[in-house]
Amino acid sequence: MFGKIAFMELKTGWKGLLTFSLLALILSAGIPLIFPTYRDSIIEQLEGASKVHIDLPEEQGGIITLSWEPLKAATSYMVLQDNRLSMVTPSIKYIGNATSITFEKDFEEKRYYAIMAVIDETSDPVLIGITATEKGEDPFQELLKNPAYAGLTGGRNISMLEVKGFVALEYYSWSWMLTGLYIAYLSVSLIASDFENKRMDVMFSTPISRRRYLLEKFTAMSAIALVIILVQIAGLTWGLASISALNEFSANAVLLSLVGSLPFLMTIAAVGIATAVLFQKGRTGMGITFAFVFAEFFLYTFGGFSKSLEWMKTISIFKYWDYFSVIIDGLFKTGDFLILALLAIALIIVTTRLFQKKDIPT
Amino acid sequence: MAQETVIEVKNLTKMYGNHVGVKDLSFTVNEGEIMGFLGPNGAGKTTTIRCCLALLAKTAGEITIFGLDSHRDAVEIRKKTGYLPGEFGLIPSVKVKSYLKYLLSLHGCGSTEKMLSLSEQLQLDLDRKTNELSKGNKLKVGIVQSLMTDEDLIILDEPSGLDPLMQQEFYRILRREKKHGKTIFMSSHNLAEVESICNRVAIIRKGQLVVVEDIQVLQEKTGKVLEVEFRDPFTIDEFDFAGVSSIHQDDGRLILTIHENLDSVIKAVSNHQILTMNLKTYSLERLFLKYYAEEEANERGDT
Repeated sequence: MFGKIAFMELKTGWKGLLTFSLLALILSAGIPLIFPTYRDSIIEQLEGASKVHIDLPEEQGGIITLSWEPLKAATSYMVLQDNRLSMVTPSIKYIGNATSITFEKDFEEKRYYAIMAVIDETSDPVLIGITATEKGEDPFQELLKNPAYAGLTGGRNISMLEVKGFVALEYYSWSWMLTGLYIAYLSVSLIASDFENKRMDVMFSTPISRRRYLLEKFTAMSAIALVIILVQIAGLTWGLASISALNEFSANAVLLSLVGSLPFLMTIAAVGIATAVLFQKGRTGMGITFAFVFAEFFLYTFGGFSKSLEWMKTISIFKYWDYFSVIIDGLFKTGDFLILALLAIALIIVTTRLFQKKDIPT
Repeated sequence: MAQETVIEVKNLTKMYGNHVGVKDLSFTVNEGEIMGFLGPNGAGKTTTIRCCLALLAKTAGEITIFGLDSHRDAVEIRKKTGYLPGEFGLIPSVKVKSYLKYLLSLHGCGSTEKMLSLSEQLQLDLDRKTNELSKGNKLKVGIVQSLMTDEDLIILDEPSGLDPLMQQEFYRILRREKKHGKTIFMSSHNLAEVESICNRVAIIRKGQLVVVEDIQVLQEKTGKVLEVEFRDPFTIDEFDFAGVSSIHQDDGRLILTIHENLDSVIKAVSNHQILTMNLKTYSLERLFLKYYAEEEANERGDT
């Protein structure tokens, strides 16, 4: 009867799976809980912008007036200037006691100004607000225009101030690392440990074919992936329900967006099984499978950098788990789901052929 | 009674890259016999066995088991074969009983009767965890799993390592299996083991077959070895009769091999005061050493 080997794997490996599932549960339930606090702090920060006022000239070469509300405790003010919102390479535009400065607009690009209040010599300056020479947007929306993020979101307009955007970016966009690498590790070790601990001879003295052996291991991995996904679904739904956000991010969207990762994880499992069969060593197999997962991720993000690199996305498995499509557009891509599922099965078939020809080392 | 061939190995060659595993090996194992497969470490015994079970691909040659192709029909063959690997690991952290039951289920065998009786005979504690077993107990698990499904063919790769009492119990089990018509093919480098339980033996060295012989015929051919310790001095010439070979002194003892003329030798011995005397079957170990000495001498002569 099919399933005995798969069942044995679950029977002997349940402790590890339980530990991992608990971790996944805590994270998936915890992320939505952070959202209200996060949103409120951001809104507070954005409010700072209204304390700063900028008057822009109509034409190039005109005068810019920058003014801000005075702060009682301030001994002086500092104006930092940068052409990036991140303000990682600022230059000092002004230091002094004034609450208004004027200067000539002798540049074309967009510039950002951060006004800081210096309280005393010993403590750090306090940010009064940030403004820019062009009409500003939600700073996070600007951040999302960064190619690395645009690549991830498929160019969708996502707001971190909405629960959908927050959970998509803070949970989905990295949870693959946790689940994907766990599946990679487990799938390699499920096969490689049988080689390394010399269990293959006894296994293949029973009337179990190598094909069935691999299929059962793959089934075990798919079942484990499904368990993790169900735990994530439960955790995330509970987390969203606790902050009363299920009307914005429905349980159905949680379900479909995470179920979409099943063939994604199955493909990683198939690659893990293939490398374990080919190299018969856990370390080598895991190294290669981990590298595969990261390489696929980089292909996907690089693919978002420009039109000419878009082909990279097509060969990345990340393209076929489009959780943004479910969360933002409400569209589950069945075609993508099937493509990955078929890819996983094709990989297992090829691996079986290779395994049938290979020696089992002593 | 015409015996049926259970295993037929024909011109088997297995190469590991440029290294020869076995070369042009041919032999048969007949139904109902215990066939020994003897050779030093690295001779190719395990390679041959693992080729038979399709764990290794063949480079050349043919193996048929129960008339089936060893590789094409591997699954069919394994339905009728029990196997004890030379080296093996167990699934950790499960009870021996559930591990053995798991293997029974993979064999499609519903009965635990034989598993239980074998475990009792070998005093194997079925409630222990597999990762808590000593080397000897692990071997017992291996032995039980190879025999518990009551298959027609049993292949054992170096089944030694039990304590002497248990080893004897294991031999009794093998003899009983043979009595029930089972065919047993076992490799060993333990010559006493092969001598004590095998009907026939194939001797392999450096991947090539040296000889296949009935144990009895081999023993008759090789003669008896006499070892005597005297109280008084003696000379080797006193024992130099026709049919006597390998006469030498070792630490004051006289050692010689008698093929014929036993009577004359014993009479010559009786001319002295005897301290200890031992007449034994020419051991395969000596045969081995003798054979290798000859081989190596030839090799040195060639180069």
